[in-house]
Amino acid sequence: MPKAARMAWIAFALSLVTVNVWAQAIDSDTDASVRRERDAEGEFQFVRLAYSSNSYGRRGGGWGGRQRWQTDWPDAEHHFSRGIGRLTRVAVADQGRILTPMDDEIYDFPWIYAVEVGYWYLDGQEASRIRDYLLRGGFLMVDDFHGTWEWAAFVASMERVFPDRPIVDIPESDEAFHVIYDLDQRIQIPSRQFIYSGVTWEQDGYTPHWRGIYDDEGRLMVAINFNMDIGDAWEHADWPDYPENMTALAYRFGINYLIYAMTH
Amino acid sequence: MFELLFKYVREDYARSELIFAGDWPQWLLYAISIFGIAAIGAGIAFRRRDVAAYRLIAIGLLQTTMLAVVVLLISQPTLTAQKIREGENTVALVLDRSSSMAYGVPESRFQVAMKSLASIVEDEDAPKFSVRHYEFGASADLVDSFIATSPADTATSIADSLRVILEEARFNPLAAIILSSDGADTSGGVDADELAEIAAFGVPVHTIGVGRSEIADDVELTDVTMPARALPGSTVSARVTIQHDRAASTRVKVYDGDELLQLVPVELGPDVNSTTAWIEITLDAAGSHQLRFSVDGEATEDELRNNTRSTLIDIADQQYRVFYYEGEPRWEYKFIRRAVGNDKDLSIATLLRVSPNKYYRQGIDSPEQLQDGFPATRDQLFIYDALIIGSVEAASLTTVQQEMIRDFVSERGGSLLMLAGPNGLGNGGWGQSAIADVLPARLPATGMDSFRRRKASVLLTPQGAGNQMLRFSANADENRKAWGELPEIADYQLTGSLKPAAITLLNAATDAGQIPLLITQAFGRGHAYILASGGTWRWQMSLPLEDQKHETFWRQLLRELVASAPENVSLVATAESGGTDVMLRAEFRDDAYTPIDDIGVTAVASHEGGETFSIAMQPAADESGVFIGTLRPPQAGTWYFEAVALRNNEPVAISRTSILHESGQAEHFGFRQNAGLLRRLSEVTGGQYFDADDLSALPDLLRYSSSGITETEYRAIWDAPAVFILLFLLKSSEWLLRRRWSSI
Repeated sequence: MPKAARMAWIAFALSLVTVNVWAQAIDSDTDASVRRERDAEGEFQFVRLAYSSNSYGRRGGGWGGRQRWQTDWPDAEHHFSRGIGRLTRVAVADQGRILTPMDDEIYDFPWIYAVEVGYWYLDGQEASRIRDYLLRGGFLMVDDFHGTWEWAAFVASMERVFPDRPIVDIPESDEAFHVIYDLDQRIQIPSRQFIYSGVTWEQDGYTPHWRGIYDDEGRLMVAINFNMDIGDAWEHADWPDYPENMTALAYRFGINYLIYAMTH
Repeated sequence: MFELLFKYVREDYARSELIFAGDWPQWLLYAISIFGIAAIGAGIAFRRRDVAAYRLIAIGLLQTTMLAVVVLLISQPTLTAQKIREGENTVALVLDRSSSMAYGVPESRFQVAMKSLASIVEDEDAPKFSVRHYEFGASADLVDSFIATSPADTATSIADSLRVILEEARFNPLAAIILSSDGADTSGGVDADELAEIAAFGVPVHTIGVGRSEIADDVELTDVTMPARALPGSTVSARVTIQHDRAASTRVKVYDGDELLQLVPVELGPDVNSTTAWIEITLDAAGSHQLRFSVDGEATEDELRNNTRSTLIDIADQQYRVFYYEGEPRWEYKFIRRAVGNDKDLSIATLLRVSPNKYYRQGIDSPEQLQDGFPATRDQLFIYDALIIGSVEAASLTTVQQEMIRDFVSERGGSLLMLAGPNGLGNGGWGQSAIADVLPARLPATGMDSFRRRKASVLLTPQGAGNQMLRFSANADENRKAWGELPEIADYQLTGSLKPAAITLLNAATDAGQIPLLITQAFGRGHAYILASGGTWRWQMSLPLEDQKHETFWRQLLRELVASAPENVSLVATAESGGTDVMLRAEFRDDAYTPIDDIGVTAVASHEGGETFSIAMQPAADESGVFIGTLRPPQAGTWYFEAVALRNNEPVAISRTSILHESGQAEHFGFRQNAGLLRRLSEVTGGQYFDADDLSALPDLLRYSSSGITETEYRAIWDAPAVFILLFLLKSSEWLLRRRWSSI
């Protein structure tokens, strides 16, 4: 086979592989096998938001070939759900659930969690659905995104959800920080890499921020945990090297957000 | 003809008793009968071989009947009746002089009634008696004679008037009362007790009805019923009853002062005399509102005064208090709070058990409120008008606290709403708690998990369709459609069997069929509800953002709960006796809703024009802490009342109310002749009803009465022509048969 023809075949094969991988990446956003989890009874069921990745996320990919929204799944929700059952009187389902913004079922779960939202992409329809969900009474907790780039990527989609609502720092007096636990200390909750590196931050996200978006009645609708990794602390609750106090603090933030969402 | 055959008229037979006046001994009559029957039997037996059996039987029957008639004649049948002794008795002529008697063209009812009574006295056939003349309205007055003035009394009470006449007649030989009236009683009619009381005097009351029973060109607004108070912004239903004698299309308008609030078209049916319409009214401004209801009149209608009625409604300027006790964080809790959060008339304080060791309070007025958990004393609990208990175990409360909840409903008059949940209703052991009696269902035992975290659709029951708090739309069809389109609820719970007094307002359609979802019953002074779901929040999350059904449901439900809860101090004014009197009822209880007895109560009535009266308030005989009084308002208009409870001459509590008094208007309502009332009155007293056009039988009827000075009249009927005709027919029939059957 002439060299030129061989090169053409190689190029064609590579392009097929590339397209196939890219297509799988898109499809896996709503991979039914991932979402097929046991439906356990409970007033509260941990719902993880499966979102489409933005161009930044598609370039980088996730850990172990996973999508970004799958980060810490399923241990994070398993551990955290058991913690909720142990520490509160919330009737909590054993297993979590995964839903996309366009799933109609999303309205049956007024609390939803999105991770690594520096890589999310919500198109106009999805943003409209999330806006509707929140204004009807839903609550969104976002977590595990760091630094200037990821913030910008998060805000780009969030502004499609609420073009007219500002993202503000949650004041220390807000009930979200006191509904069960008085969370007066602002400590950056690190990801697992802290065990090896000793640094609590990632990228240029040196300072943790607890931000939020409020509705017209002054109720927190979106809890934005920026420059921290609460999900990792839930996931590694049983990891001997991960600081126990960070896990405990992460549980407390999560429980406070949940109880706040169930009372306001 | 009757008189020709039987000697006397039919009425004589009707008012007499039959006796046998013959003086032959009874044994002799029996002996004659037996001997005669034996002789007839022997005659038949003697001829049985020669004559066919049916012929012998026919002849035997004729002869036996003949024998029976002869024995009857020997017994001398006689009619006996009590008859007044002429010239020694009194008859009361009673004339209705109330305003409704002014109706009638060309002669008024009053003129017709006067003439009818005069005709009795002037009738030559009438027995001789002395006459007492009475005129009556709200009560009866003895008068020398009837004066031809216009009837002007503003109320009619037939029962009260007859009582007066009969009491006065205790020492007179009163043989009968002749009452001429249209029967348009404004005191609410004559009830069974009053009829029995009047009948007990033993004096026959003959009634002469005047006026028309049907007036085709008159439409009357008979009644307007609506709550006396409501919360600002609440929609209340007014039930409007229209009387009419023909089919028509009309409209009902409702005004608040000069402002038109509602205009509702109403179809008056062809085969009914009364049509009911429901009109929904929403009032926002706090204070007392005088609502005027008006029905469009017929084109030829003369009397328009009965087309309008006014009523007062008090829109509360206070905030009602709801206490919600919840045993676990859940979505229903959140969404209930959100639904009523902006209702400025409702304050909802919540106590939520978020963890085994922590309660979370919301909606509290002070840091101390509920800081020790569920209220421990009656006065702490009784400050609330309604109590919601969610998914929480009965065992989380002491027996004393459970008994307080029962008293909260039965004595304080508060409303209790029990919600479903994993730890609620039967699962929470409430069926075995001290409040089990209060609830409208016999909850399942704790051993059975009655809670189902499964979706179910909601169905409106007929009772629910008529309930104001379950209205999403004023239009019944639209409302039913709205309920049918609601998203499913997230869960439901089995309630067990319903108690006899329970009313089911909503059902849930589940996999296992329909189950009661919202049920209620009255208990003591209050009400208990069960909402067998903790999942109505799905309505909020599943419906479009602008949809308000979830908010509407909870606001209306909670408003219904609090609106029926009485204050510990209350004053109620009601119009009695056809609007003549106003009855005041003041009730004083302390903060724990225990009746206060060691007080005196004074009340003051103030007319809108400034005139004031003091009212004597007396303790009620059978109710602690209750004082009653009466005012006969001298003029129409709005009357304001203030009752002050005094202990050692120091005021300890004050209560106020108001009422719209429409003096003199009652006579223009229900002014058709109430012949039914007059007939009933005559029947129970042994009298007779007469139409004013035909009184021919009345004079003779007056001769007979068991009242007054009477004598017994005997009338033999053995010699009535009918008897001899019968004897002739029997004997001639036998003769003819014998001729025909020549063999006999």
